[in-house]
Amino acid sequence: MKHSGIVRALATLTTVVVVVAACSSAATTQPASAAPSTAPSSASTAPSSASTAPSSASTAPSSAASAPAKMYTIGYSNGGGVGNGFREEQMCTARAQALVSGQVSQITVTSRNTDAAGQLQDIRDLIAKGVNAIVFNPNDPTALNPALAEAHAAGIVTVAVDSYVTDPNTYNLYNNQVQYAYLGAKWLFQQMGGTGTVYYMRGLAGNSADSDRDKGFKQALAQFPNIKVTPPAGVATGWDPATTTKLINNFIASGQYDSIQGIWTSGMDSMVVSAIQTAGKKQVPLVGADLGAFVTQLLNPTGYPGLKGVAVTNTAGVGGAGVSLALKLLNGQTVQGDPSASQPNTILLTPVAVDNLTAAGKAQLKSWQSVPGLNPTWPLGIQIANWTTYTPDQAIACKGPGQ
Amino acid sequence: MTAAAAPADSRRVALADLLGPAARRNAWSLGLLGFLILLLVFTKLIEPRYGVTGIQGLAISVLPLALAAVAQAIVVISGGIDLSIGSIMALINVVSAVLMQGQSEEFGVAVVLGVLVLGLVIGAVNGGLVVVTRIPDIVVTLAMSFVWAGCALLVLPTPGGGSAKWLMDLVSGSLGNDWIPKAAVVLITVVALIWIPVRRSWLGLSFYATGSNRLAAFRSGVSIGRTKLLAYALMGLFAALAGLSLTASTGIGEPVPGPYTLLSVAAIVLGGVSLAGGRGGVFGPIVAVMILQIIRTDMTFLNVDTNLATVVQGLILIGVVMIGSLVQIRRARA
Repeated sequence: MKHSGIVRALATLTTVVVVVAACSSAATTQPASAAPSTAPSSASTAPSSASTAPSSASTAPSSAASAPAKMYTIGYSNGGGVGNGFREEQMCTARAQALVSGQVSQITVTSRNTDAAGQLQDIRDLIAKGVNAIVFNPNDPTALNPALAEAHAAGIVTVAVDSYVTDPNTYNLYNNQVQYAYLGAKWLFQQMGGTGTVYYMRGLAGNSADSDRDKGFKQALAQFPNIKVTPPAGVATGWDPATTTKLINNFIASGQYDSIQGIWTSGMDSMVVSAIQTAGKKQVPLVGADLGAFVTQLLNPTGYPGLKGVAVTNTAGVGGAGVSLALKLLNGQTVQGDPSASQPNTILLTPVAVDNLTAAGKAQLKSWQSVPGLNPTWPLGIQIANWTTYTPDQAIACKGPGQ
Repeated sequence: MTAAAAPADSRRVALADLLGPAARRNAWSLGLLGFLILLLVFTKLIEPRYGVTGIQGLAISVLPLALAAVAQAIVVISGGIDLSIGSIMALINVVSAVLMQGQSEEFGVAVVLGVLVLGLVIGAVNGGLVVVTRIPDIVVTLAMSFVWAGCALLVLPTPGGGSAKWLMDLVSGSLGNDWIPKAAVVLITVVALIWIPVRRSWLGLSFYATGSNRLAAFRSGVSIGRTKLLAYALMGLFAALAGLSLTASTGIGEPVPGPYTLLSVAAIVLGGVSLAGGRGGVFGPIVAVMILQIIRTDMTFLNVDTNLATVVQGLILIGVVMIGSLVQIRRARA
């Protein structure tokens, strides 16, 4: 070999590099193994030191920014629905709330379409990064519990948003879906004068939000004994616009539409209104969600004459609210859970129902609509009273601290 | 980070010369190991707190994909490819989770053994179809991926089920020392117990022979059909182990397959297995899976936008493979 001398020199050099690297990593790992054990204690002492001035931090974020309050790092994990407006809005509100809180130095967002094992991995990465709190939209109620227990052991605050987990140390924060269905259904039954038949268009069979909404619908129904429901168990739209359009077209074509007095939808609203309009039928009172297309229809009496409807909020601001909750917990504030929820440590966000019958209602709908630059697939109710402090523009900008 | 591969390569050449033929044969894997060590050092630099928890998280996170990569490597070495690995994993995952829910720990042992046999059978069905119909592997296994994914949804329409406690304990936590995660011990044990005896037997030899040149293997007396069937059956066994590792790490069954099929192909390519067959091993792909995982972790540590992180991951993958090929070409000329 011609270059054996060079090769040998290289070999010696690389061996030295390997040995040095191995030793230094071994050497640095010793203190590192001690670091995680000290980190939780410092993290656990932090809330108590911060809790001496929780009022200043919570009441006025601006004053918290001027006074050098304790800065936290937050991790956010989203395990599905990439490209879905509802999920994107959640992540952007989380970033915006982290920015305006003045208490977050960095928010790290991991988002991909993955299974529960993949989200476990993302959460473990955030634990290894040493964030102070992890806010996440769980892929499953139980599958993430091993990583959540590890987070708790490392002194990290965990908050599940949009859905719940069964981990006892994690706080859950999501929209009250029972109330969501109850508010809309009650409005509808009142509009119908307490009598008549309702076409019941549900969401995705087996989904927990769908089951909760069914409960709320049945609660309202129990108060109006003369209301009949067709079909009694409802039809599943799968929250899919194409399926919904097919269902309502069949319903109209078969003549069943002519014998009903109201429609309850689980958020698949604007396509139902359009189909009725296209078929040249008279609009019956209808319940929908705070989605851009539906609200536009509600505010367009010339395009959709006689349309009476109510938009119930299903806010995607839960991402931002989750960050607020995590900060409250980090600052040592006590948070009161809702006893009606299926899990302890759960905060349910109360939805709001706004119809297009009163001037006040129309003004409210207009105010939702009047946010320039809002993506049409995003729910309009961006903010949540008492939980979020960002402006709609900040949510749309989708920038966290230091970005 | 692609630049970091260069020193790793020079080290690889050097080590190969130092350690002789065995190292020369595993030069690619050793190079990857060097790259992995560099990445770990880099991770430690950007996140000084990275330590025991990080290593334990890494070990448990890579387990499903590492086993899937071993499964894919076996089939590809013997001249095939299987695009249904993700679906088989999902099916095994839901079958085991449904059977184990609310049952005793002892029953869990029976379930684990049962689904491993099921995995062997599923793999043999894939292999049998390839051998009997003579339709290209890629077509058969792509079609079968829909079949197995559909079966998984029939078994369990929405996520649910449960897992035996001992199975979950088997992969979480550490064994004795904090630095020895149980998941890593499981991975090494399983691969060593199954693959090494196979690799050293006539069967392993016929895998490589069939993969590198079917005709030559046939003329040397290797039964091509039987070899392929056994390679696919072994793939099914490892895919079943990968599916079980999903049950063990999450405690539930999920009927919709995760992104494991294509990631397993990416891992074996990065791990030095030739897609043309006959070349490579299972050690390289396992290291490759760890590299892919730690790159994702680094992206989280560096707070890189998640969409951009996916792009960077792909670029690193192709960069490393390209540099590796260049080095091999230069060595072939020298």
